[in-house]
Amino acid sequence: MMNTPQQVKNPSSSLKSRFITRFLGALTKITAEDPILSSSPTRIFQRYRRIKVASNKSMAYSVRSRRIWSRAMLSRFRSRRSAFSGRRSSVKTTNCGEAMDVCNLLDETAHYIKCLTTQVQVMRKIVDFYHLSK
Amino acid sequence: MDVTVLDRQQATYPLELFASSVPLFQSYLGSGPIVELKRPEAYLGGDGFHEFVYFPVGGGPEFGDSEKLNLVPPDAAPGYCISRTSSCQMTAFHAASMKEEREDMILEKMESTTGSGSRESFTKRKAEVVADHKSKDKRIKGEVEGESEVKTKCSTQVSRNSSKENSKACEVQKPDYIHVRARRGQATDSHSLAERARREKISKKMKCLQDLVPGCNKVTGKAGMLDEIINYVQSLQRQVGFLSMKIAALNSSVEFNVENLPIKEFPAYVANFPAAAKLPAMPNLTCFQLNPMQKEAVNCMLNETIHPPLTATEGIASASVSIPEQALSSSTITLQPFSTWNMDPQGLYNVYDMGFH
Repeated sequence: MMNTPQQVKNPSSSLKSRFITRFLGALTKITAEDPILSSSPTRIFQRYRRIKVASNKSMAYSVRSRRIWSRAMLSRFRSRRSAFSGRRSSVKTTNCGEAMDVCNLLDETAHYIKCLTTQVQVMRKIVDFYHLSK
Repeated sequence: MDVTVLDRQQATYPLELFASSVPLFQSYLGSGPIVELKRPEAYLGGDGFHEFVYFPVGGGPEFGDSEKLNLVPPDAAPGYCISRTSSCQMTAFHAASMKEEREDMILEKMESTTGSGSRESFTKRKAEVVADHKSKDKRIKGEVEGESEVKTKCSTQVSRNSSKENSKACEVQKPDYIHVRARRGQATDSHSLAERARREKISKKMKCLQDLVPGCNKVTGKAGMLDEIINYVQSLQRQVGFLSMKIAALNSSVEFNVENLPIKEFPAYVANFPAAAKLPAMPNLTCFQLNPMQKEAVNCMLNETIHPPLTATEGIASASVSIPEQALSSSTITLQPFSTWNMDPQGLYNVYDMGFH
């Protein structure tokens, strides 16, 4: 779903709501394909991987190309099958070819931290919501 | 007391009184406040330079000698404030002068308007006025430097005894140049100034990051700060991993529909959560109950955290290998990284009542 590129002011198209929409959509797909009731460890592990990737992907897509780190993550997602990199996605080791001087790096870090905290908040809310509704 | 009076006044009046012409300070050797000076043309109102220097004091007597001239009555003070657009040379000092200490401000004006010969005499007079006495040599030197730097649109800050060391950028009427105040003893060429501006930009951003990352107040220095930031980012990424494991382990078949989670209530909802995201260290698990199969899945995840697998299939293969070894021995230990995310259920339930009718 393509939301407007507007940010912040309009609550319906804020980063958080874009992320929530995308992530919940991905979650629905994952749980539909793989019913949770059959919970063998490998299944759970597989699901965990998919959910984590979906979470990071949702955030990267919500930020789109506005940030260097999101561009790096998106390119990594797209090229993951052909050439995987065993590294964890860290801002400090982004495989972006753009010039990252200290100033830009600090900006990117601040934005990345903000996005990560949003991710954590939303996922926690989801967990608790469905945890309690059991 | 002198200082305070002038400081107060400084805050009120922009001190841009001099235009191009140079008042004669030679005659003023600190003998007394009363001086016969040539007025600069653009100097509005007032009777003499001393009035400017001593500033329109609401109450004259507390300032220096009783001999001192009366200073312009307060109601005429506005006449001293020349509009910023009037004089071109003095625009550089405007914005900064409002905030600076009096000595520097007056001195700057002198720098741009006085000839070099008058500097020493003016310095002497100024020294009397100033409560804190600063070494004259350094000041003169600063003035000389400042004189040359005015051309390059920078003003040199004179030595101060105070511990304040901030350098400021003055916004001026001419937007082409950014006026930066150089610290004493530092080079004032354009390269080092640009360097300094860049460094200050970086330190400003570091301060913003310090606000974002909790627990940075104790750490000083860029290296320590960067370490903290890296740790925090990694801990946030780990939390995302743990939360996704939790979601994977949910034993519910509820659909993840957007309608179920009203988005507008999220901000209030979030406020009720503990700031567990801010703890880089994961406290012991207390209330997260996992069945054995989920525990094994958690083991896999933790293995993955330590040794990131290359592909999904490899990850699962390695996970299945490690399960028998670790499941029995370390099932409790490996659960430690889970933080106490679950709040008091009663509190959460109340929140749900609020938000999810």
